[in-house]
Amino acid sequence: MASGVTVSDVCKTTYEEIKKDKKHRYVIFFIKDERQIDVEVIGARDEEYDQFLTNLQAGGAGECRYGLYDFEYTHQCQGTSEASKKQKLFLMSWCPDTAKVKKKMLYSSSFDALKKSLVGVQKYIQATDLSEASQEAVEEKLRATDRQ
Amino acid sequence: MSTGMLYGGDEIGALVFDPGHHSLRVGYAQEDTPKAEIPAVVGVAPDESFKVEPEVKTEDGNVSSKPSQNKYYIDTTFLHVPRANMELHSYMKDGMIENWDMFEKILDYSYEKIIQSESQYHPVLFSESPWNQRQKREKLTEIMFEKYKVPAFFLVKNAALAAFANGRATALVIDSGATHTSAVPVLDGYVISNAVVKSPLGGDYLILRAREMLDSLKIDLTPAALISAKDVVREKDIPRCTRKKLNFQPSNSWMTYMMKRTVQDFQQTVLQVAESPYDERFVSNIPSVHYEFPSGYHQDFGNERFKLAEGLFDHAMLGAGHIAATSAGMCDVDIRPALYSSVVLTGGNSLVQGFSDRLSRDLQSRTPGSMKLKMIAANGTVERRFGAWVGGSILASIGTFQQMWMSMQEYQESGKSQIDRKCP
Repeated sequence: MASGVTVSDVCKTTYEEIKKDKKHRYVIFFIKDERQIDVEVIGARDEEYDQFLTNLQAGGAGECRYGLYDFEYTHQCQGTSEASKKQKLFLMSWCPDTAKVKKKMLYSSSFDALKKSLVGVQKYIQATDLSEASQEAVEEKLRATDRQ
Repeated sequence: MSTGMLYGGDEIGALVFDPGHHSLRVGYAQEDTPKAEIPAVVGVAPDESFKVEPEVKTEDGNVSSKPSQNKYYIDTTFLHVPRANMELHSYMKDGMIENWDMFEKILDYSYEKIIQSESQYHPVLFSESPWNQRQKREKLTEIMFEKYKVPAFFLVKNAALAAFANGRATALVIDSGATHTSAVPVLDGYVISNAVVKSPLGGDYLILRAREMLDSLKIDLTPAALISAKDVVREKDIPRCTRKKLNFQPSNSWMTYMMKRTVQDFQQTVLQVAESPYDERFVSNIPSVHYEFPSGYHQDFGNERFKLAEGLFDHAMLGAGHIAATSAGMCDVDIRPALYSSVVLTGGNSLVQGFSDRLSRDLQSRTPGSMKLKMIAANGTVERRFGAWVGGSILASIGTFQQMWMSMQEYQESGKSQIDRKCP
């Protein structure tokens, strides 16, 4: 069951720019006029995770957003001597508890449409507060699927 | 869009119906709360006034448009009056609509008295239980299009609505209602129906237990509707009240219903779930609660408050925590972390004091170490009791949602079986 909200082409091209060309670090999506998911902010390659979080919450406590981030971390497999660098894409739905039910409903029922348009995302995260959206929490989730 | 017409949105007020065992919630989409909450029982009595004075029918709640042998009484004000030979019937069974004739009476009443508008102008969104049967969904679709001539119709699983209303597309929805508590995994807005777990422990079970306890204490449970006056008595004294003089005996079903209502009020005011499994020593330190029955009898309730509510959790197989863990365990291992990290609590019975704390504690002990538990429970009474209705209200008002409706045209072209394709 979905809301019928569509995804704009800009979202898909920006996503490809991150996935293939590594042009940006992250992108924030929002739902425009309750009709279409569109790009709000594009983060430069050298920006930090904190700036992503700030931009995600730029709308205030009553707003919801989606965020896509190209996350990098190092991972050392058991039995190997060198740590390897990993890059993973995650897509996050940000619906704070303080947001109006209408916003939460709109964003959560449209998340599926965005998921389907952006092919190749490794992890989907639903966040309602910072304990789920922080860098540590995200990294933990991404590492959970790595081999030890 | 195949139909070329616009439904829902701001232009035409869509209606939202959320049927449950305790009540049916009815209202306009985009509003915050339902317009009305109608008890899910219908009173039926042989129509005597019909032959004597046929004109006064509409005044007293008779909603059947054509003359019939029976008179139907719907909604609290009409139900809570003792009437000769009035039997009460419930039209719900196992979370699904069972008696369609009665249900149509309720719909007639909703359109006439609450919506006060013609059914053909309003698209209708219905919520349904996650285990609703195909034949029942088709029957409802048929009734709405054929009898009520609605321009568009949609059916959504109530668990999906509750999850969305709490900002989650993927969630484990714990819905504790009147007749049962269920754990329903929702993935991207779709219910995983083979992993739904139900338990018959809900509000009605609590009422039953409370009733047994009150009966054993020999407390008079005469409903307020039968009492004309009462005196103030001292605590635990025999009540002195005057009963209304009736020249007939109210039917058993009516008495049962009214006593259930009386006990329900007691249950909601007094009962509390202990934080940890029931322990007499700990519980005896918590202040007792004073309660006065309609008959005027009153006393303090201490340990009983917790002992009764414990029934929801102490059962090894049917406790809320257990069914939640079982349901998650039946889902694919990949989505289990996502389910545990968004457990959504809804349903009127979850408002029993201490319910969410205890459930969260219970679940915490069952959550696998590698996963994080997060429980989301709306704070407001309205959001919790009408969670699915509120979700439906918003969904039906979203502009883009209008292309999702099943339209009258589609119904005429493809028939009722189309509902399974349009609203999975």
